[in-house]
Amino acid sequence: MASFFEVENLTKRFGGLVAVDNVSFRIERDEIVGLIGPNGSGKTTLVRCIIGILSPTSGTVKFKGQDITRWRPWKVVQAGLAGTFQVVKPFRRLPVIANVMVGCLCPRVTRRGEWVKSTQIKARDALEFVGIMDRALEPASNLSHGDLKRLEVARAIATEPELLILDEPFGGLNPAETELVAKSMKRLHKGGRFGRLHSEGPAMLIIEHKLSELMKIVDKVIVLNYGKIIAYGTPEEIIRDPQVIEAYTGKEVPVA
Amino acid sequence: MLKRRLNDFRWGVLPVPGRLMAVIFFVFLFVFPLISDARYPLLIVTLACIYAIFAVSWDLLSGYTGQVNFGHALFFGVGAYGSALLYKYLGLPPWATIPLGALIAALAGVVTCLPALRLRGPYLSLLTLAFPLLLSQVARAFPEVTGGYIGIRGLPALAASPIGRYYVCLIVMIVSVLIMWKLTDAGSKNVRTGLIFHAIREDEITARATGINTIRYKILAFAIGGFFGGIAGGLFGHLLRTVGLGVFAISLSFQAIIWVVFGGIVSIYGPVIGVFVLYPLVELMQGTAIGEYRNLIMAVIVILILCFMPEGIAVRIRDKIERQCPRCKLSNAAWRRECRACSASLRHVADG
Amino acid sequence: MIVPIIIRTLTLGGVYALLASGMSLIFGVAHIVNLAHTAFFMVGAYGMWFLMRQQGWGPIESILVTVVGVTLLGLLVYRVFLNRVRQHPQAILLITIAFALVFQELLVLAFGSHFRTAPALIQGSRLILGVRVTNQDLLALGVVAVVMIVMWLVLKKTKLGIAIRATANDAEIANLMGISVPRTLLITMGIGTALAGVAAVLMAPLWVFYPYIWMSPLTMILAIVVLGGLGSIKGSVIGAFIIALVETLVVFLLPQHGYMTTAFALLAMIIVLSVRPGGLFGTIFEEERL
Ligand SMILES: Nc1ncnc2c1ncn2[C@@H]1O[C@H](COP(=O)(O)OP(=O)(O)OP(=O)(O)O)[C@@H](O)[C@H]1O
Ligand SMILES: [Mg+2]
Repeated sequence: MASFFEVENLTKRFGGLVAVDNVSFRIERDEIVGLIGPNGSGKTTLVRCIIGILSPTSGTVKFKGQDITRWRPWKVVQAGLAGTFQVVKPFRRLPVIANVMVGCLCPRVTRRGEWVKSTQIKARDALEFVGIMDRALEPASNLSHGDLKRLEVARAIATEPELLILDEPFGGLNPAETELVAKSMKRLHKGGRFGRLHSEGPAMLIIEHKLSELMKIVDKVIVLNYGKIIAYGTPEEIIRDPQVIEAYTGKEVPVA
Repeated sequence: MLKRRLNDFRWGVLPVPGRLMAVIFFVFLFVFPLISDARYPLLIVTLACIYAIFAVSWDLLSGYTGQVNFGHALFFGVGAYGSALLYKYLGLPPWATIPLGALIAALAGVVTCLPALRLRGPYLSLLTLAFPLLLSQVARAFPEVTGGYIGIRGLPALAASPIGRYYVCLIVMIVSVLIMWKLTDAGSKNVRTGLIFHAIREDEITARATGINTIRYKILAFAIGGFFGGIAGGLFGHLLRTVGLGVFAISLSFQAIIWVVFGGIVSIYGPVIGVFVLYPLVELMQGTAIGEYRNLIMAVIVILILCFMPEGIAVRIRDKIERQCPRCKLSNAAWRRECRACSASLRHVADG
Repeated sequence: MIVPIIIRTLTLGGVYALLASGMSLIFGVAHIVNLAHTAFFMVGAYGMWFLMRQQGWGPIESILVTVVGVTLLGLLVYRVFLNRVRQHPQAILLITIAFALVFQELLVLAFGSHFRTAPALIQGSRLILGVRVTNQDLLALGVVAVVMIVMWLVLKKTKLGIAIRATANDAEIANLMGISVPRTLLITMGIGTALAGVAAVLMAPLWVFYPYIWMSPLTMILAIVVLGGLGSIKGSVIGAFIIALVETLVVFLLPQHGYMTTAFALLAMIIVLSVRPGGLFGTIFEEERL
């Protein structure tokens, strides 16, 4: 049986540099998967290839049985796969709420008989969900880095994805805020309605350096190093994997 | 119905100085022929109406979506030549040739857009700069069709009298500007293009990753910009009853940008004010002692505005006389102490 | 027919190369598309004409004053105006066009719209492969070659060149490395306009000047710079000779359609851009699909 989401032999070269090297993995409909790896290991590049911002050198990406490799980003989003940026790219001069409303305009969402009129309410609910409703009417350029990260998440969930890819969602957040966002991700994953905001209960792929927080919410972890997958397994397996420890500390660690 | 409109006026227009001024401005335009029906001033204001459509169409395309077009005269020229050729070969009347010519201009917009889709920033601007130049030389190379250097003459007039022509242009201008205003209104409850155009300008990649088919909307923006640019061109041709290569001039492309920047980019009302202030002013200078210096004065105005008031005159004035309520974002007169709707205090809202 | 085509391509390409590389340098380093570039060139040519014909100065002092004058003018415009709006590419385009118009109008007011030509710096002409070429043309070609080599050496070998290239690459990092970015930008602007001044000195006796002359070479230079890749000097030089060849071919093969030169140059540019969105030698960082 075909998986819900499947990446096969994905490779991305930048000139001589192989940023993503023959990567294959799967995500099931009900999973939250973590993607970790040292800086520069190709995580962001992998995500950008999946959501169609970059075109991969070779390999395929399959989503819900369709081959979505090299699809344009909006088609990918309309199919139900949304991602956030590690380096935040909001619509700076637009109000925060308008940033999210753009996501609500996605045909995937409005096709269900909802019309532009209701987008504003829905955008509010998305902002409420990530906890920055009080900044809704300010231009996005006024927000702090952590709030911008949350805005990214709100923008992505406004498109009601079935697979949500988050690139360092906790970056710039303090421990309390991290806790909050992690909890709301869990809630989102369960699915249901949050006001007008509808959640499909998306599968998730979360890239994060804050391992302790990440490990609490994920079912599986993929470890990337120099563009290659070096380990895959449950959080418990991963934190004991000698290869992973080596990749992170940069030296041989005696296996205990 | 009437009562509702009156209520709108009482609560929506009167308390907001900017809107009140807009209403006064349009009323003034409607009664202008009563004040002065001399030919020359009327012609100037008629041309200002045409140029206002042209400038606003540039603002829609380049201001809103950020696809900075340096060859907007292409659309003006295609609209003008298109309607002139439709008359010359098919003998159609102006009310048919102008919209059809504008449709051809919209098509020209789509065609220019195709190579432009892959380009950004200065590359896009410089590429678009090339198109009207190219087309004017092509038009010159086929004198049997286009009349070559002389152009096409003897087009039918828009209306019999100068006043009639004035009202045609005025009404077309108002309708066109209202349509473009609606299309670009980001807060609109039933048109989504405004918000999407803003998003594309702010960050195209993010817009894509948010599910917006940016290619489709960029083509749409080029088509709309081309269409209204073409309307302006068609009106122009039939007003002067002749179309020559001048409609493709680089100076016309830049003139549009100058009007928009002067009035205020990304605002729709800015370009209208820019045209209605600058164009008659420059025309008035002609024939006076400073007539010789008018191009110089224009250029200096542009430099000074760009350096010291980049948001444009009209937008600057509006910011001076209106304040947005920090709570409900409703516009209020700057001298009010509290919001007219939610009575939040306005006193601490700083200037700009 | 081949020989005159080659000779005209070389002489025309030389001037274009000087102008285009100056413009490209300014864009590459300061991200300024200087649409007033050929207007500076025009001002320089008027300077030569004014000093030599009106004031009766000798060639050496005229050349010096012209080149220095044009450079100072460029620096002034940059420091006082361009610098303020450097972050807004559209504002830059507009403001530089406005400056071109200012120069144009001032020249009209000062000297009228008559045609002007400066006296030749060296007299005479000679036969090359059966074609008569003026010595001034040969001098121009020689100077262009020398200037290009000097510029190449400066950019590759000197400290200043390294600073310029580092700033072009990434101004922020250059700043962190202790390079004074504002100073480098100013110097680059100076070099760019000085090149326009040199081109003016060389062409003042060869072309006929009037206050609107900046427009037609401007479209050609733009076509060259865009075709070669904005910011790439190598691209500009190669593009200059390509466009010069196109222009010469149009003039020789379609004599009755001489006005089509711009159309063909722009067509060449559009074709190159459609195939390579960054021009021949332009590098666009593979950020995202377009
Ligand atoms: N557009 C690009 N062109 C060339 N090289 C690139 C580009 N984008 C990324 N790279 C290179 O690809 C490699 C992988 O980068 P990537 O950003 O994917 O790493 P990452 O795992 O996301 O790192 P981090 O944890 O710091 O976010 C790096 O060596 C980077 O320099
Ligand atoms: Mg990353």
